[in-house]
Amino acid sequence: MSETVQEKRRAGTAASGAAAGTERPGTKRKAHGLGNLYRADGRAMRYREWRGFKDTMYDYWRWLKLLGLMAARLGPVMPQLIKALKRYRWMASYLTTPAFVDRHTIGLRKYELRYCHEQFYALIQSSVSMVRDFLERDRHLNPRSKRAARLREKTIVFDEMMPIHIMAGFPTLKGIPLQMIPIFEAGELDQQANMYYIDAIEHFGLAPDVCPLPGAECGCAVVDDYPDVAKLYISSTMPCDGSVVSTMYTERYFKNLDCYQITPPQRFNEEEVQKYAVKNLKGAIKFIEDRMGVKFDWDAYFEVAKRHNIETQYMLDKWDVNCTPYPQICGAALALHREFEWQMASSLDPYFAKADKKVNRLMMRGYEHAKKTDDRAKYRAIVWSCPAHYYSNFTFWAQNCWGIKTLVDMECMLTHHFYDVEDKEKSLVDMAKGYERMTMRSHSNGGYVNALDECWKMCEKFNANIVFMYNHVSCKNFAGLQGLFEDQARERGIHLIWVEHDLMDPRTVSRKAMRDRVNRYMTTVFRAEPLDPTLVDYDDDLTW
Amino acid sequence: MKDLKHLYYFENLLGEANNDLVRQARKEGRYALGFTCFHMPEVLLNLDKCFSVRLRAPRTGSMEIATYYMSNATCEYSRALLERAMEGGYRFLDALAGVDACECMNRCMENIELLKTCDTDERFFFCNLDVPFSDDEDCVAHYCEQLNRKLLVPLREKMNIDVSDASIRRAVEKHNELSRIIREIGDCRRLENPTITGHEYHILSLVSWCCPQDLIMDKLRETLEELKSRQPDAKKSYRAKVVVVGSEIDDPELISLIEESGALVVGDRFCYGTVPGRSEITLDPDQPAFEQVCRQYLKDSLCPRLNSPHKVEQRYATAEKLCHDYHADGIIYEQMKFCTYWSYERALASHVMSLERGIPTLSIDRPYMSRTSAGQLRTRVQAFVESLEIKKIKARKAGAV
Repeated sequence: MSETVQEKRRAGTAASGAAAGTERPGTKRKAHGLGNLYRADGRAMRYREWRGFKDTMYDYWRWLKLLGLMAARLGPVMPQLIKALKRYRWMASYLTTPAFVDRHTIGLRKYELRYCHEQFYALIQSSVSMVRDFLERDRHLNPRSKRAARLREKTIVFDEMMPIHIMAGFPTLKGIPLQMIPIFEAGELDQQANMYYIDAIEHFGLAPDVCPLPGAECGCAVVDDYPDVAKLYISSTMPCDGSVVSTMYTERYFKNLDCYQITPPQRFNEEEVQKYAVKNLKGAIKFIEDRMGVKFDWDAYFEVAKRHNIETQYMLDKWDVNCTPYPQICGAALALHREFEWQMASSLDPYFAKADKKVNRLMMRGYEHAKKTDDRAKYRAIVWSCPAHYYSNFTFWAQNCWGIKTLVDMECMLTHHFYDVEDKEKSLVDMAKGYERMTMRSHSNGGYVNALDECWKMCEKFNANIVFMYNHVSCKNFAGLQGLFEDQARERGIHLIWVEHDLMDPRTVSRKAMRDRVNRYMTTVFRAEPLDPTLVDYDDDLTW
Repeated sequence: MKDLKHLYYFENLLGEANNDLVRQARKEGRYALGFTCFHMPEVLLNLDKCFSVRLRAPRTGSMEIATYYMSNATCEYSRALLERAMEGGYRFLDALAGVDACECMNRCMENIELLKTCDTDERFFFCNLDVPFSDDEDCVAHYCEQLNRKLLVPLREKMNIDVSDASIRRAVEKHNELSRIIREIGDCRRLENPTITGHEYHILSLVSWCCPQDLIMDKLRETLEELKSRQPDAKKSYRAKVVVVGSEIDDPELISLIEESGALVVGDRFCYGTVPGRSEITLDPDQPAFEQVCRQYLKDSLCPRLNSPHKVEQRYATAEKLCHDYHADGIIYEQMKFCTYWSYERALASHVMSLERGIPTLSIDRPYMSRTSAGQLRTRVQAFVESLEIKKIKARKAGAV
């Protein structure tokens, strides 16, 4: 892969920009298309897409708005930000945030462009705030600051795949998902961001066949790249075996922090396991109360639970619309938003509900418009298993290249039950179930029914006959069901398109290799012609 | 050393899962309950007319069908079991007592169930336990609930098995007797010049996991007596003593390979080994036996799945103690390829042991059948043995020994 890039570099400009497929045989004229935006020899795109006057202006205005948000939120911590760029390897990836949004809006027009911008703005404003929280608390960046020390005294870090929802009852304290900013989101912003940490932990002795997400998290600990921002640490055993054991490393790294483990049961479809789950959560509440000297505030908690219910209802509305012939909010705009709304912000950020309300209104208008113009999706697909962090805009590529709309993503089908907002015990059971059905965990744990049977149910519900079956090469949970998926899809006449990836490490399976799997399937099985031939084969190994 | 009288017999029993003793027990009208993991308490599978069979897939060759179903990225042990199940190798089982403790094994059990590879009649049942992640009292209560609902109730209702407190106590007594014999045999490895090799001991240990225990007790007792008067070779056949710590090993060839490379295996802290599987269970007569059994299994568990800081420390301390008690020169941390838990544990523990506790450590990963990677493994072990020898020479020169 890197050899190809180097060869192209050597060949000079003639080859560097011309991605394969952008030149027609026998002619020097380039075909117009979105593939021309990418450069094989550069990180940034060639130029911004022209979407017609109105949409281009809207897109440009959103770009400025995003930059304004980052400046406003991070301006007050500029000295720490500059120090952080020197101290932490992952920090530079956050400078590419506008490019991250651009990647996800390529090819979108009118309503879809607006949904996408709104959805991404909500999650980015939350992340930027979290970056600021890190910067203003971090002991490494503020070694002598009394203010930073005071903030640390009120802060608890959580393992990243576990929602900080329990903090709803501690409004005077701050909960921060520890690995979310250094690893999880950094890998989504910049495909190169996690490589150093993966190499570090493999050099330490970890086998390379394990999932690179917990691996990179351990690598970050091994090379001492975590900020020191808290007084307590709530670790977890979710969502998979890798996460279970990687806490050994983080607990060792944070040995000066008192630690409590939230350990949701595995077989969570059984009602009997909830007793233990609730006890475990009560233990966490007591642990925080004792160590931080504050009481769990049920009123504050119920307020957040109400907000969770509102957000969940908006999510279900989006799914309902996507079940119709006129799906609206699709692909990563749906999935990433929900992941961040619940996993990262855990309904503690009121902005999400506000933005959801606006998007919902817009969505209904878009739906009516699509119905009137009979604007149907060419192909209807769902995404199953865990997607590649380094290629979160894959579904938008499939939409632009082949007209395949991704109606729902397994990753966003996390916790979507409503919480009791009056009865404390019932609400605790709901919270326990919320933890049990977190990102990945909701389908990879709890027995095969949650992975296999649920997939076919969703195909039926969303009227989809294509499944992008992400084959995360290091995920043993889904790998263990590979043959059964294959057999059962065949029985049901569902097109299962296996797309290999390695979650955080594009060196194992590149973005291009992921696209090739779909290209091959579409041309050989569907005998389809691409909507945009320039997107069939291009090189983006070096881009963010 | 002179061959042990029953070793050949024991070795033959390991040739297949459905061996002569299993068939004999089933002919007597007893029920064979298959299991794979320490977290399914073996003693509860030996109640009344039941007997436990810890599943293996000896002489595994190709695993193509299992690889189709579980991909080539899952642990070879679980794939080997699925392959053997699809070949019909576990049709003799009356129940399969699984645990949802690791992803690969859980999926293996689910494949075995969905692909209908066992002869299921109205008695047959699968179970899949939710194993807690620590050993506090909440976890014990959860574990008890799971075992009661998923194991004891089906045993009672489907097979009419006596699962009473008295029955559990009887099973514990038998378990303790077996454990005492096995541990006593194992103590021969503490001697300056041990009278049993690691390979021989591993065979005895495996037989105790894979056969109806009451049918091997006489021969095990005889073997113990034999060992008391067994003379070791005048010239030591090893260059260093090691403790093997890690994931599942049910392959005596691996231990044999390590010993052929010059390292005598004197400690076995791995799944299918005897630490902690052959620990005695102490019961308080005034407390329910079932709860005490569950508590002890969780307390004794040394699986990296249980990762509370005190459990992590328990694992390090156990490895260190074994090394000390059995006068080992070093530890071999091993993991089955694609075993996530042991991959993390091996990487960290090998650093902790060598850098913080001063115990030389070799860290290896290996296939299920060691013969498929014998050359590489032998080279690694030989190099480790040489490094241990060099350390000894240096220490002697420095006057420390």
